[in-house]
Amino acid sequence: MNNRAMRAFLYWVQEKRWLLIILLMGILLYWLPYPDSISVKGYRTFVISIMAISLIILEPIPLPATALLIAVLEVSFRIASPSEVARSYMSDSVFFIMGSLMMAVAIIHQGLDTRLAMGIIRITGNKVRNIVLGFTVISALLSSFIGEHTVAAMLLPVGLTLVKYASDKKPAPQLTAIILFSIAYGAIIGSIGTPSGGARNAIMIEYWKSATDSGQYLTYYQWMLMAYPLVIIQTVPAALLLGLVFKPEYKILDTPIRKLRVQVAKKGRLTAREFVAIGIFILTLLSWVFFNERIGMGIIAISGAILYMATGLVEWKDISNGTNWGVILLFAGAISLGVQMKNAGTALWISQSIISLFGGLMSEIKFLPYLINIGMTTILGNIMSSSGTVAVLGPITLSMNANPLYMGMTTAIVSSFGYFSAFAAPACMIIYSSGLVKVTDFLRAGWRVGLMSILTTILVIIFYWPLIIHLTNFK
Amino acid sequence: MRFLVGIKDTLEETRSTLRIAAKIANGFSADISVIYIGNKPKEIMASEVAMVRKSLSDWQIYHPGLEVLHWAFDALKEFGFLAGDALEFKPENLLEEKGRFRMILPEASGEKIRLILREGNLLNELKKETETRDYELAVIGASEDKRKIHKLIQFLDTSVLVVKNFQSKIEYKVLLCVDDSKATRRAVIFGARTARHLNAEVEVITVSKRKDFGRGYLNAHKWALKYLRLQKIRHSASLVNGNPVDAFLKKAGQDHIIVMGKGTQNEFLKFFRGSKPIHTAQLADCPVLVVKPFDK
Repeated sequence: MNNRAMRAFLYWVQEKRWLLIILLMGILLYWLPYPDSISVKGYRTFVISIMAISLIILEPIPLPATALLIAVLEVSFRIASPSEVARSYMSDSVFFIMGSLMMAVAIIHQGLDTRLAMGIIRITGNKVRNIVLGFTVISALLSSFIGEHTVAAMLLPVGLTLVKYASDKKPAPQLTAIILFSIAYGAIIGSIGTPSGGARNAIMIEYWKSATDSGQYLTYYQWMLMAYPLVIIQTVPAALLLGLVFKPEYKILDTPIRKLRVQVAKKGRLTAREFVAIGIFILTLLSWVFFNERIGMGIIAISGAILYMATGLVEWKDISNGTNWGVILLFAGAISLGVQMKNAGTALWISQSIISLFGGLMSEIKFLPYLINIGMTTILGNIMSSSGTVAVLGPITLSMNANPLYMGMTTAIVSSFGYFSAFAAPACMIIYSSGLVKVTDFLRAGWRVGLMSILTTILVIIFYWPLIIHLTNFK
Repeated sequence: MRFLVGIKDTLEETRSTLRIAAKIANGFSADISVIYIGNKPKEIMASEVAMVRKSLSDWQIYHPGLEVLHWAFDALKEFGFLAGDALEFKPENLLEEKGRFRMILPEASGEKIRLILREGNLLNELKKETETRDYELAVIGASEDKRKIHKLIQFLDTSVLVVKNFQSKIEYKVLLCVDDSKATRRAVIFGARTARHLNAEVEVITVSKRKDFGRGYLNAHKWALKYLRLQKIRHSASLVNGNPVDAFLKKAGQDHIIVMGKGTQNEFLKFFRGSKPIHTAQLADCPVLVVKPFDK
């Protein structure tokens, strides 16, 4: 091999080092003797899970390739037949993720962000404190229904325009940070409120149906009943905590608000097109609440997307370009893996191993499984994506010795607490991509808001959920 | 001839990088492509981020990194690299091409400078960029991360100038490190042209680890002196015994630009153990120019 070819080879090796390490680890684990407490299929599924998690976190190959690799390995390792694997890749949850992403593109395409800007200005006035609270509340409210990335995409231009007008004379990094974080953290908090708040919620519903023995799951309304109080409890404290971390350079934004008002006023009154766009969304939302059990959330989401296209509000080309098809494939792969983890006994084996780590404490402290769940989910949720975390941890937490409904809800809710890192939650990634906030800002603000969220979640699990289930009797 | 200048922020060190790049480019009548490499969003959220950026541009809030490019553009104007006021930076002229963004500068002198925005890992993106056009030299600011300097020098197919501690007030000399490697002659030519344009004196140094100097070393040394004499460039010369990297660093101090050829030893060994140019660039307290050999 000449020097040039050697250099090209070395470059490839250093580029793909993580892939090589993961493959080596996979091969090594595959050939290692495995414990008696797990079946061959279960152990092989465990090997695939470890490889898939590593590939998702480190991204040495494109994520859709990871998704396809899961299918290839499931068949190659004789965990399931090709038909079974193919079937496990498509479910109502995958339809839901697909439909939601398509609807998000359609909604953003309508330019409703200017309308939102006008609404926010009217409510908050020109005081920075109120503006921050306004962004957090509106962001939380909207993201409960349409997903955090859609909300962040619509509110970020409004926030940044305000910042741009305010930074005309001198830079205002603290003001920038507090406004951007109020949008992102508001969106994260809101996304736990309903099943349509994020893909992770839909994945958990799928796991309740397919990965638990009872198959019992929460309807849209029941989910709201259990999770929405958390949204209400967390929103205002989050805005207040942000005020402790970032000290804005201005207390009042008089001129910027006036300039923003002039800018958005140019759009005039709501057009018929915008009315139809909002109407379709409300129709979809009502269908989720009232018909999800009969039709399924995925079919409703897809129907919404079809309506946007049928009415000419968005073209297929825009939907096709704006939808992350690779992510849909990834979640399909992750769900398939989750189902195999349950079927092959891997999830049970991992959860039993965790339980045995804590010995007698597990039976003495009834809340311990929840604490373990919260700990594992928070850590993985801040390394991986929230949906990826639910996809991987869901079958495990559902198999731990506790109420599957509570455990599932806890996993879905806590996985969204990606406050600590810029890369875990879509809303955080979106504000980070503006280039105006630093990674350290996420740590500074994140630990406070994260701690508050965890504490309020614990309180809700202990006091509110038993009460509401007792009162409504939907267990 | 084209130079590629990688920048990451608007700090004084970056300004120095641009200043020295502009000076050398003027000497070679070279075009400059300024490249800003920003953080790449995680693939799992890439389309969401792209969608947000589109909405932001509708609100006249442009891609992060554009401000840095704008700043670099103004700095190059200030250094006299770009003549005339007609050339204007318009954020709306950012064009998305295959895996990168390029600022369109439609005026006549637009070809002398290119402004490019990429996202991802520094080495990968610089390598991809050098594959799109035939660049002669990549100019980068020194990094605290020594491994990064190592990789850039080893894997980029261009000559590499690592800018550290460049101060416009200092009258720099060129320290030409000569040995028997393939790239030495090219380094001598490159160093001589740089010295001429900077009006700097050249100090030729040849270092042998042994007590005596091999014929290859002596021939290269003589050739360098002859070339400089013919080019009528002020120069001095020294033959030193000892560790080459230590000798280069001791001689260079903070007021030299070190020019040396890219090592041509086994790439595998270079990957694990480094090379003279790599160690010099990692440890020097002044700019280091590592010149690639004639045949890539």
